[in-house]
Amino acid sequence: MTTINVLGNEAIALALVEQGCRVVTAYPGTPSSEILAGVVKHKKRLDRQVYAEWSINEKVAFEVAMAASWTGLRAAVAMKQVGLNVASDPLFSAAYQGVKGGFVIIPADDPGPHSSQTEQDSRLTAYNAKIPAYDPSTPAEARVMVKHALALSEKHEVPVIVRPTTRLCHAVQSMELENGPARNGNPSKVRFRKNAQRWAATPKFRHKLHVELNQKLIDITSEFEQSPLNYVDGSAAAHRIGVIAAGVAFNTAKQSLCELGVKLPILKIGTPFPLPQKLVAEFIAGLDAVIVIEEPGTCIEMQLPNRTRVHGRLDGAVPAAGELTPEVVATFLAKTLTESGIEVNAAPDDAALQQAIDSLDLPIRPPRLCPGCSHRSAFYAAKSEFGPKAIYPGDIGCYTLGTNLRAVDTAVDMGASVSLADGFFQANRLTGDKRPIVATIGDSTFLHSGIVPLINAVHTGARFVLIILDNHTTAMTGFQPTPANDYLADGAAATHVVSIPDLVRSCGVGFVRVADPFDHDQFRGVLSEAQDYAQAADGGIAVVIADRPCVLYEPTSVREALLPVIVTEECDGCRYCVEAFECPAISLSADRSRVDIDYKICVECGQCIDACYKGFIVPEVMTTEEQRV
Amino acid sequence: MSELKLIITGLGGQGVVFLTRLISNTAVALGQLVMVSETHGMSQRGGSVISHVKIGGSEAPLIRRGTADVLLAMEANEALRNLGYLRRKGVVFVNSSNGLHPEVGEHLKRLAIETRSLPASQQAMELGTAAVANVILAGFAVAHPALPLDIETLRRTVSEIAPRGRELNLKALQIGYQAGKKT
Repeated sequence: MTTINVLGNEAIALALVEQGCRVVTAYPGTPSSEILAGVVKHKKRLDRQVYAEWSINEKVAFEVAMAASWTGLRAAVAMKQVGLNVASDPLFSAAYQGVKGGFVIIPADDPGPHSSQTEQDSRLTAYNAKIPAYDPSTPAEARVMVKHALALSEKHEVPVIVRPTTRLCHAVQSMELENGPARNGNPSKVRFRKNAQRWAATPKFRHKLHVELNQKLIDITSEFEQSPLNYVDGSAAAHRIGVIAAGVAFNTAKQSLCELGVKLPILKIGTPFPLPQKLVAEFIAGLDAVIVIEEPGTCIEMQLPNRTRVHGRLDGAVPAAGELTPEVVATFLAKTLTESGIEVNAAPDDAALQQAIDSLDLPIRPPRLCPGCSHRSAFYAAKSEFGPKAIYPGDIGCYTLGTNLRAVDTAVDMGASVSLADGFFQANRLTGDKRPIVATIGDSTFLHSGIVPLINAVHTGARFVLIILDNHTTAMTGFQPTPANDYLADGAAATHVVSIPDLVRSCGVGFVRVADPFDHDQFRGVLSEAQDYAQAADGGIAVVIADRPCVLYEPTSVREALLPVIVTEECDGCRYCVEAFECPAISLSADRSRVDIDYKICVECGQCIDACYKGFIVPEVMTTEEQRV
Repeated sequence: MSELKLIITGLGGQGVVFLTRLISNTAVALGQLVMVSETHGMSQRGGSVISHVKIGGSEAPLIRRGTADVLLAMEANEALRNLGYLRRKGVVFVNSSNGLHPEVGEHLKRLAIETRSLPASQQAMELGTAAVANVILAGFAVAHPALPLDIETLRRTVSEIAPRGRELNLKALQIGYQAGKKT
């Protein structure tokens, strides 16, 4: 038996393969992206026939996997929590229709949020959709719960959710690699069996299916009452206050209580929906009060029918926003316990030390586009051409960081830059606002959900410039392939490679140009022509495709044309380049008299030459170390 | 080994994730159970990177401020930013040519926190690449009783997780370890 360190997402992937899933789909999204990569790794290691797919978006991913489960194969789909929003249409419908082969849905929540638009709770989505949900606390437990989930899904013929969070997805925990007998099954034995009243149910049959679903939930609740995944940790406690906890927050709460020096009974809930009400009621009955500690929402807390003795988010005892870090948990536990007359250990943090550190004004390190990023050049050209007054609808990806260059004014959800450009046009036509509208979207995001709003905008006669920032990959989440790449999730060749310019033309756009954002003058020229077309009486929407690969994903294009630069002696420290171009390799010197280039991170793309209109950033003609400031 | 809590920190690109893997895999090879929390995604974009490493302890992924035994920092600013994680009598190992900012000196003394500073980046450049500064720091740290990880096991682990850089990494470990033993 080998003990190795396994990433949480990989532990989930391992379980999917071990438990016989044959079709696993996903769309990249932090913190879930490593799940599909893990499936590819372990299907190869265990030599299993598993179809793994990076789908074009989460709705498609869900439907592809679900179809497989309808044939009788075990299947799974993974995404981040906002990706579940995209897949919500099939999610809610599928709950009624059910499944045949086990079907597990893995939405990764992001308390904080660390890298998401919301702190929504996918267990509450499960509640709303009437789908059972598991809430693992550790990578090892996630692996166990995937097994339970698939078995439950098959037994009751319902889709099931297993809901990890960031601190589980990106935790690394030691565990045994081989975990007991793995389920192989025989894929050739299953077939999709027709049943229109179920698989194609119309409203009359939907009612019947709903009644059946409600009964399934009752049956599942009874099973959850007996499940080993729900248990009381730490009996023989001295106090009449208890904790109900779930997920990562369970272990954080345990650790906090240990540090506070207090022993409380903790009811761990591994199956928050449908909640094992009897188990919970029994636990609460023996106590004066309970504190519910779960993330990021109130799934367990709000299912409790009687909350007179319950503390949690709903009564303000637990913060209603933000991650439940050890400091946050210790603070509210200490407060609640102290108010109940229970003594707790003092906080170990040293306030004086922290004050001294805070007074040092350490440099803040916000996320920024990398040195050599093609998006920076595109944004810089757009700002130079259209100025600060233009309206810049933005979208979700690395290029959201265009906010640093003040070239992104909105970021809502995937594909929204196009719809917002459309909406702003329609509104501005009524209000008389004549500012140019310049939207930006990435290649992966455009394919995900930018095509449909573009068709809408063309059809209704909207006018704006759309820049598709095509860096040939899904960069922010780890360079996953898109339908515009020639390879698939497991490295096999794609059957067809989609052409983004052709797609755009097919949407009816009359101005489609592909240009290299690194060629500043030419790119600006194209943007100018685009705006002319967008404003012309006989014009329309103009699309410019900024075509240059991500410098991290494919550094060869920069390496083939290295252009080392220097900042001349004449630099007067006006900071225009720092503000308007914002490359991490360029910063103000310590005495603020000039800017300096950090050659440790400069990739020699030479793009900053255009960033100094005074001509103080120039190609390095001679390569002597002494000439570099 | 009783429970050991480490915070490992630096900037994206300084090898914090590799250093984390080196320490945690060594601990597993020594028969310990490990729970680690990593930062992903933003690390490539020049942001602060932090890992919480718990050897032989609870399954909570994060370490509470004021309770960590060891802070391993690839950079003085990140060391300062995260000093609050250390407990009294904790130890900070920092990649720096001149220790930490004097402003915090009196507080560290009061809290009996020891600072062990090493110009690992300079030493790495002498070996040919800044990239091994993290491995030098690892060698330096395990020479101290606060981080009782066996150097032989560390050597084996670094060879396993980075077979191609084996020779260079072993040299780096040795330089760090010797520097640690000397003081």
